[in-house]
Amino acid sequence: MPTVTITIDDKEIVAEKGLTILEVARRADIAIPTLCFVKDSLSTHPCEICVVEISNYADSGLKSTLSTDSLFRACVTLALDGMQITTNSELVTTHRQQRLADISATHFGDCKAPCNLTCPGQINVQGYIAHVARGEYEEALRLIMERNPVPFSVGRVCPRFCETRCRRILVDEPVSINHLKRFVADWCMRNEIDLKIPKDKPTGKRIAVIGGGPAGLTAAWFLTRKGHDVTIFEAAPKLGGALRYGFPDYKIPREIVDFEVNSILRMGMNIRLSQRWGRDFTLQDLKDMGYDATFIAIGATIDAPLDVPCNEKDHVYKATEFLRMINEGRELDLGKSAAVIGGNNIAMEVARSLVRCGVQQVTVIYPRARIEMPANQRNIREAENEGVQFLLMASPVGLCGTPDDNARLKLDLIRMKLGKPDKRGKRPVMPIPDSNNSLAIDTIVSSLGQTAVANGEIKGGELEASMKISPTGNIAANPRTSLTSVEGVFAGGDATSGTKTVIQAVVSARRAVPKIHAYVMNQEKEAPESRFNFHRGRTFDDVSLKNFDGIAVNLREKMPVRPPEVSTQDFDEVKLGFTEKMARREAERCLKCGCTAFDRCDLKRLDIEYAVNINKTGMGKEPTYPIDTDHRAITVDRNKCIFCGRCERSCPYDALEVRADSLDDKGRPLGLVIDFKDNCVSCGKCVDNCSTGALNKKSRIVPIQSEEVRDVHTTCPYCGTGCQIILKVKGHTVMEATADPAIGPNYGDLCVKGRFGHNFIQHPDRLTRPLIRRQKGMPLEPVKWDEALDFIAQSFSRIRGEKGPDALAGLSSARCTTEENYAFQKFFRSGIGTNNVDHCARY
Amino acid sequence: MTGLVTVLGSGAMTNTINGIIESDVMLVIGSNTTETHPIIGLRMLTAAKKGSKLLVADPRRIKLCDSATLWMQQRPGTDGALIHALCHVILREGLEDAAFIEAHTENFAAFKDSVAQCTPEWAEKISQVPASVIEEAARIFASAEKAGIYYTMGITQHTSGTDNVCALANLALITGNLGKPGAGLNPLRGQNNVQGASDMGCNPTYFPGYQRFDDEAAREKFSQIWGTPVSGRPGLMATEMPAAITEGKLAGLWIMGENPILSDPNSDHARKAFEQLEFLVVQDIFLTETAELADVVLPAASFAEKDGTFTNTERKVQRVRRAVPPRGEARDDLSIINMVSKRMLGSQGGYAGPVDPLYHTVAPLAADVFAEITTCWQAMAGMSYDRLEQGALTWPCPEADHPGTPILHTQGIVRGKGLLSALTWSGPEEIPDEEYPLILTTGRVLYQYHTGTMTRRSPVLEGAAPSAYVEMNPEDATALDLEDGNEVQASSRRGAIRLPVRITDRVRKGLVFIPFHYKEAAANLLTNDALDPQCKIAEAKVCAVKVEKIAAENAAISLN
Repeated sequence: MPTVTITIDDKEIVAEKGLTILEVARRADIAIPTLCFVKDSLSTHPCEICVVEISNYADSGLKSTLSTDSLFRACVTLALDGMQITTNSELVTTHRQQRLADISATHFGDCKAPCNLTCPGQINVQGYIAHVARGEYEEALRLIMERNPVPFSVGRVCPRFCETRCRRILVDEPVSINHLKRFVADWCMRNEIDLKIPKDKPTGKRIAVIGGGPAGLTAAWFLTRKGHDVTIFEAAPKLGGALRYGFPDYKIPREIVDFEVNSILRMGMNIRLSQRWGRDFTLQDLKDMGYDATFIAIGATIDAPLDVPCNEKDHVYKATEFLRMINEGRELDLGKSAAVIGGNNIAMEVARSLVRCGVQQVTVIYPRARIEMPANQRNIREAENEGVQFLLMASPVGLCGTPDDNARLKLDLIRMKLGKPDKRGKRPVMPIPDSNNSLAIDTIVSSLGQTAVANGEIKGGELEASMKISPTGNIAANPRTSLTSVEGVFAGGDATSGTKTVIQAVVSARRAVPKIHAYVMNQEKEAPESRFNFHRGRTFDDVSLKNFDGIAVNLREKMPVRPPEVSTQDFDEVKLGFTEKMARREAERCLKCGCTAFDRCDLKRLDIEYAVNINKTGMGKEPTYPIDTDHRAITVDRNKCIFCGRCERSCPYDALEVRADSLDDKGRPLGLVIDFKDNCVSCGKCVDNCSTGALNKKSRIVPIQSEEVRDVHTTCPYCGTGCQIILKVKGHTVMEATADPAIGPNYGDLCVKGRFGHNFIQHPDRLTRPLIRRQKGMPLEPVKWDEALDFIAQSFSRIRGEKGPDALAGLSSARCTTEENYAFQKFFRSGIGTNNVDHCARY
Repeated sequence: MTGLVTVLGSGAMTNTINGIIESDVMLVIGSNTTETHPIIGLRMLTAAKKGSKLLVADPRRIKLCDSATLWMQQRPGTDGALIHALCHVILREGLEDAAFIEAHTENFAAFKDSVAQCTPEWAEKISQVPASVIEEAARIFASAEKAGIYYTMGITQHTSGTDNVCALANLALITGNLGKPGAGLNPLRGQNNVQGASDMGCNPTYFPGYQRFDDEAAREKFSQIWGTPVSGRPGLMATEMPAAITEGKLAGLWIMGENPILSDPNSDHARKAFEQLEFLVVQDIFLTETAELADVVLPAASFAEKDGTFTNTERKVQRVRRAVPPRGEARDDLSIINMVSKRMLGSQGGYAGPVDPLYHTVAPLAADVFAEITTCWQAMAGMSYDRLEQGALTWPCPEADHPGTPILHTQGIVRGKGLLSALTWSGPEEIPDEEYPLILTTGRVLYQYHTGTMTRRSPVLEGAAPSAYVEMNPEDATALDLEDGNEVQASSRRGAIRLPVRITDRVRKGLVFIPFHYKEAAANLLTNDALDPQCKIAEAKVCAVKVEKIAAENAAISLN
């Protein structure tokens, strides 16, 4: 074999003569990027990403067709003896960056959907909605649980950051995302679904989690999944924290909290209840007990005091204390009228609870306007609907007055006004002189903000004393590392941030987990995910309405609720949840903004690798082409096409044509056409070869983002060819099937069944429980395995006893594995004692 | 299988899928390869494009015909006559490989006598393939250095199925097309693990590894391995079971992963028989038509939920790997067998083992069973899961360092000498008559698979081929006053179904075709369950039917 000797990146390589530089590099495991390369074919409009620098090009008599003399396309340049090649010089990098920027400048679409980007939990919203639309509720919940282990609660109380950015707003109304989350959680609970979420092998590391609220439970769940031995220390007699003691039953019913907590505990962790940090144990104790790390998630339960004279009276409560008593079911003497001082979300729950306790007049007092109340506007509206009154622009000044006969307390107030804006533009409030006023009232509950640490000190031992406290009265933790000032002690959730939403507590805890893991395992931390994102417009104003051509108005499903006059009579849940039909209909409304090629997009990957800043160099602004869904298996979005031609050239049937009316000065197509010919057999190989999301499998509805995806190499279950397929698996969900071009007998080819025929795996019609017919003529009914197996064993034994072994027979299957077939005939031959065993598909 | 084992000593595809591209000539007979084995079909198309000659013998103008050098449109059930005539021409013109015949075959004289009368003209009368075409095909086939024969159910699902296979073996033997790349005798297995199920002795005649039940040494061997005496009484073939039930001989049946109610010929007969069973256990991933009759239905795992191996059509043992846990309380079939075994037999036979909390597997696991298999059969003795991790292995692979055997018969015919068979052609059991004037043949479409339990749940596949139809020649359609899409009733002596007609010259006059995937118009209600006398395969590929137009008002009523 004639050879050539060349140098690539200072490495001398002896290669077969007649190969291209690209091929030589590939065989030597030197990666040269390309966007248009397909083996055994050449692009008529090359991407030029595979350029390399040949310093001694003149020696070989080469002349470059590119703008720089020493740059050559590796895919078409033959490796010649003595060539000095660099694959990553500055010239090369600059050229690649320029080409990528040019190509990216017309690429139009969203990498991630806006809902996903807005969700503090970064939950794959589009993905779980897609599962709901297909009736795959179990898969939907598993996808949510990859990032949020408390979906029952969040599905009930989330302020829904995601819905504020839903693009459907530009058509009619946003998708009711959060109600869908609640629906799948409730559906799985009702149907007793075991999600079978696996955990890693034991690491031998022990981790203490202080606090069993949403943040503590989240951290415990993810740490346990990582294989750590986790113990939760909870001060209260039950787990749940704010979910149990903060939110009243009408928001999150007790049995839901119990179910949620139990499903987390099923992962396998230790709990110590009624163990208060600082009273029953210290951080030093935990170290002494052998915990390798500690995560503090005690929440923010210390109410700011109602700092007015004579505040130490009976019938004056603080919000968290009040809610805890309500949620513990304590009977309180609340009288006929009550004032809630403060305008945060907790104040709203206090007010609504007071209404439910039979207090006839409940008034929220807040020194500013309603729009400035920190509570979520939806919560304010709900409170108002239930008869809560609002006394705004007023502030309490004292409780010293003597109440009149029909009330227990006299609350002195003063009216407030707005002052001049400060440097940040916020207008302070100030009392209006001589506007004093008073309110006769039976009960007062103040909700003036909550912090983690009382009186600026953490009780316990030396470590506690040394722990830094933030200026806002919470535990100081580095937002990047989640580490407190004490070695090996991490913190998150409301304990570090003050009161925020449940989902924010979940996220804070989840983000701490990889850091705790890296610390105890003494490993490098994982690199943060790139924020690179093509988008169709960051704000609603930027989004072209052409995106929504042909989308008809279809208003959102209304959540069924109990009317206020009924729901305020008890603590039962107000919102009743979507029915299955409503959920399916609502899920259908999703516009599927995010790209389902997120995981395989070569353009995005190279843009990130070459640090192309598309926000500066530009990206497509509006759609040029409508999205084409005519093909039975494939969606075509020409707005994402970069005209690499890989689809056309990889089609084994020559069934695809890609052409353009003309090219612009940078070689980009104008008047682009992607045509499937009549001989297309829908094998889908073009999609697997698409360099962006221009071609997509219709069945691949869930974008795979940063979550872990496993490639499982296995054998296609259809015909006898035995094509080798790769199942892409996320959680317990088979996302799609592809094939490896290097492995026979199919070498990357698959038929339509091999690529698109695997929906049956998670089809709702699957048999999931043993069924027996107790008597002929009776219907089949579900039973436990034990009963079914006993029935079989008894019946087989009886027949064999009465009629001999040859009265029994087995029909095996050419669909089952070789091992199963062996075991099956062995059972009949050696166990039953008959040769009556056969399979249906025989020659 | 029965045919090939007898004449060659091994019942499997002799060559490889990869080798197709190397062949000079491909004879594809009774195989609609591009629809039933799309990737093998793709290799054939690529080979044809590169210059290989493609000979297609099929009653329908299948897609391969578009790329064929010659197309022989035989009447269904006349394959044997056609193949005999090909042999006749080859011998008559002296195109045979005399050296190969001398060295590697026996019974040549008797064989030669048997085809002496099988002239192309004789075959033309039977098969309607012009004599000149037969002659040309014979010359093309015989002149090739490497000619491969590819066939499927179109050859075997006949009362003469075994004879057809032996006839093809004759053709391969006299032209010396065995033991070299790009040639061979290649039955393409229709289902993913037909080969593995056959290899493992899920067959009354053979223990694992084609060791006969009536061979005392084999019985002794398996009694040893399994630690219990094994029966020497002959067992029932699947196709004999319905009759055995009706006769009261068979009372209990365990069906693992099959849906015979829909896939068996004369399926109404099969249904009635199964209904008479005292006890029926069906184990499947869906509640199939057969499962609906069962006394116990066990939820099984799909291929994506279990570990194991499939052996593909070219004898390649390939891993199946678990991707996800079984749905709900479903269990993998092996664990189910282990659980039933344990209930009945206790821990005898090694059935025991912990239940894995996530996957609920019950020992012995697939890897343990595979290890036991390798002790039963020399052809797989060199395999192990460890080796399979490095890549698939093709049996025979007798030693741990043996690379496997992609092409059979390279060291001479496995049997010693290839047995040339002297055969007499006999037609199908049922032929058209006045009452049932058309021939029905059945088959598959690309987008569906078998009885559709899996494919019909894929929107892409179901969307592409959602319903049954009957293909009919324009001349026959005109005679019945039918227009494309008209609803018709197709009936045979065994049953009747309703479906729309698709008028096409893909089928010749007198022939109709129905894909058998659709339970709402199940072609196997019509087909014949007459059996091949040797291997007991049923004649699903040819029977006599009539087609009648359903008046529009009746069609409308039937919809209500």
